[in-house]
Amino acid sequence: MTASPATPLLELENVEVVYHRVATAVQGVSLRVPERSIVALLGTNGAGKTTTLRAVSGFLGGDDARVVAGRIVFRGEVITGRMPHEVARRGLVLVPERDKVFETLTVGENLDAVVPGRRRLVTREQVFHYFPVLAERRRQLAGYLSGGERQMLALASALLCQPELLLVDELSLGLAPAIVETLMALVRRLRDELGTAVLLVEQNAAAALAVADAGYVLEHGRIVYDGSVERLLAHEDIREFYLGVGHRTDRVRYTDVKQYRRRRRWF
Amino acid sequence: MAALGGGYFKTSYEADLALVDTRLRRVALGALVVALLVLPRFASGFVLDLVSQAAFAAIGALALNVLTGLAGQISLGHAGFLAAGAFTTAALVERGLVSPLVTLPATALVGGVLGLVVGMPSLRLKGLYLALGTLAMHHVVLYAAGEMQARAGGNTGFTIPPPRLGGLVFRGTVAWYYALVVLAALVLLLVVNLQRSRAGRAWMAIRDRDVAAASVGIDVARYKLSAFVWSSVVTALAGALFAYHRGFVSVEAFGFFVAVEYIAMIIIGGLGSALGAVLGAAFVTLLPYVIDALVAGVSPDAAQYYVFPAKFGAFGLLMALFLLFEPLGLVGIWRRVRNWFALWPFRHRPLRASS
Amino acid sequence: MAQALATTLVVASLYALLGAGYVLVYRASRVLNLAQGDLLTLGGYFLFATAATFPGAPVLALPLAAALSALTGVLVYVALMRPMAGHPVFAAVLVTVTLGILLRAAIVLVFTDRTRHPLQNLGLSNPPRPLAGGAVVSTFDLVMVGAAVAFFAALFVFLKVSPLGIRMRAAGERALLASQRGINFHGVFALSWALSAFAGSLAGMIYSSNVRLEPSLGILGLRAFAVALVGGLDSLGGVVPAALLVAAVEVASVRWGNPLLSDVSPFLCLLVMLLVRPWGLFGTKEELERV
Repeated sequence: MTASPATPLLELENVEVVYHRVATAVQGVSLRVPERSIVALLGTNGAGKTTTLRAVSGFLGGDDARVVAGRIVFRGEVITGRMPHEVARRGLVLVPERDKVFETLTVGENLDAVVPGRRRLVTREQVFHYFPVLAERRRQLAGYLSGGERQMLALASALLCQPELLLVDELSLGLAPAIVETLMALVRRLRDELGTAVLLVEQNAAAALAVADAGYVLEHGRIVYDGSVERLLAHEDIREFYLGVGHRTDRVRYTDVKQYRRRRRWF
Repeated sequence: MAALGGGYFKTSYEADLALVDTRLRRVALGALVVALLVLPRFASGFVLDLVSQAAFAAIGALALNVLTGLAGQISLGHAGFLAAGAFTTAALVERGLVSPLVTLPATALVGGVLGLVVGMPSLRLKGLYLALGTLAMHHVVLYAAGEMQARAGGNTGFTIPPPRLGGLVFRGTVAWYYALVVLAALVLLLVVNLQRSRAGRAWMAIRDRDVAAASVGIDVARYKLSAFVWSSVVTALAGALFAYHRGFVSVEAFGFFVAVEYIAMIIIGGLGSALGAVLGAAFVTLLPYVIDALVAGVSPDAAQYYVFPAKFGAFGLLMALFLLFEPLGLVGIWRRVRNWFALWPFRHRPLRASS
Repeated sequence: MAQALATTLVVASLYALLGAGYVLVYRASRVLNLAQGDLLTLGGYFLFATAATFPGAPVLALPLAAALSALTGVLVYVALMRPMAGHPVFAAVLVTVTLGILLRAAIVLVFTDRTRHPLQNLGLSNPPRPLAGGAVVSTFDLVMVGAAVAFFAALFVFLKVSPLGIRMRAAGERALLASQRGINFHGVFALSWALSAFAGSLAGMIYSSNVRLEPSLGILGLRAFAVALVGGLDSLGGVVPAALLVAAVEVASVRWGNPLLSDVSPFLCLLVMLLVRPWGLFGTKEELERV
């Protein structure tokens, strides 16, 4: 673990999520996000990253999913099983992977629709300062924005929710590398200037680890490795499988790497 | 199915194909058949009439269940198909073609064509939109029937003489009891086999995900239409039966509420299950009589106008309760009870999720 | 001709109010509320009851009846529609059908099925008003048109300008995202249902004052859903032209056809629309895939 203060901003303890009452998606997931930090949650497709984020940000009745074990603590308060809007108003705001803007509303209306949280951290002017392009497109329908602009609008409206912790799901998905770089830099700026902590869920491990302080690796619904960015980057298997810069000469298979699973819980 | 408790396995292809697989089931089925056969010797005409009505409803419910439960094509126009069948028969009888050998094939033909027409929008539309289309079609059919009735039926309806097959005349409670029960059993057999056929599997695939069904080579358009045609032919024939059975046909008998009743049958019974359709049909048919009896038991001199809304309301309430709390219907309850006995003394609980 | 135009306008106003009810609920719950017609009837009976309680005081009776209707909308959402989240849309639509059955049964139980005239208790009269061109309509015909215009104007301003209205549109498009942005969408949806019930019962109060009040008025609602679909189920703006179109067809079919044909004409409009342009005049095509 990196330097972990006594009470992290967000803490997950052994969280288990079950879909449709029968399908376990994640199990025994524990992680902490300290204040003012950027934490990356890495993993392949279907590893349970999005489920973990959704568990934190809250499920709806229609999702037919629930946290059946463990607890989620935000600023010392247990928020397990709360409705998404209750979580959001506490300052824990999600930028979802898809369906992230209201397409039939204009950019301005997207920002107006937000119900701000309890603390006042960000003003509308600051948001337009970070995302000047949104100010220009204020009257356009969000449905006509490009992928990068949509992501900016999603970040901007999440910011207006006054987050202390932003949960960002696949910031890089479907975007050009140059835009990903800009957005990642922006995330870092938000943390540095506003003090917003960020939990980044990414398949693009290289982009995430470039800005993160610490990271977790999720596989098959379990945390299998964690540590500071330096520690993660030093791990041979992570370099091989997530960053593609390993030095192995033999082509090992993903499932062959035994020591990789050392943290798996068997009970 | 019967292997829930473990230990019972099918060892041959024939065993897997058999509709009635265990001895207990064969015995139970035999007992049911015998009971239905000898019922007229013991039961009153009223009871026979109730069973006949339930059997008649079961035919319509089974047909709707193929369309909605199996193929997933929602129809709010079931009463329209019934009306089409009944009025085709009435029109032919009016022109002197009274023989069922003429009217039934003609009715089936009309039903098939109507099913094709109503099914056409299903190639483009899904869910709610399709349901609205069928509902609109229902009103159009009723309009046509109303026009016909206004022109020829002396404004109140058409009188249909009892059907004749050679020297055989279907008249009286017992004859109709046998006719309807046998027909319902035949339709049930047909539907159960249809479910297991290529068409049945194709329908279920389309119901669950039409795009996926198309991608594994199912001709979605053909099977959607065939579900509509199949269902509407059977329902139109049921409409003809209705005409002969009641001996009278008028537009008022086929309102939107009738369509809702049929949907209630397959919902209350359990969507997609043939057994459920039969159970639901019996349940919905008998419910008004049960309520009648209850009301009479509680206060014998209750004003008649309380009885009708009470029936109506109880029906709505039950349907809502099933939709909200028991989407699997009576069949779901039945399976749970059966499993409870099969697994006793253990309780089967899937994972910790329900805690 | 002037008379036909005036009648079209009046019928269109009725349909527009009902159609707005359908669209409001559809946008909130993706459900077509087939009980809309019975909510209309209920509105009429609420007025009848409040008028009987406060005879000769329409200032008291009308707002009270409207408030009761809106409250009914909220109750329906909380008791019936909220638990249906996650169930198939079809099941939710059937729940609204059962709601209609329940409402109608309750109305007959409480008020019996006699034909009523709330106007008598209100202490108002409904004199005919001659219009330009020789057309004559009743006073409450005019009230119907006025109510529809006022309702749509207010609704437009509410949805375009007020934060709550914008949130309602947002939640209607993506409930989950709205929730993640801090919007209590259950509250917003309950409000949608309240507005929808209000629109329906407003139509019901005026219609029953104008014509008559009986439990079977709900059939009007079935005919008005054609309007909602012709305009586009997700389009409030489409309701007005669609209502005019359907009303015009209906008035024309009375004139050149017969009453039976005019009864079925909204459904014929609906069928034509489904065949030609199923997503409606102003709806979005993607809606077809969402249901």
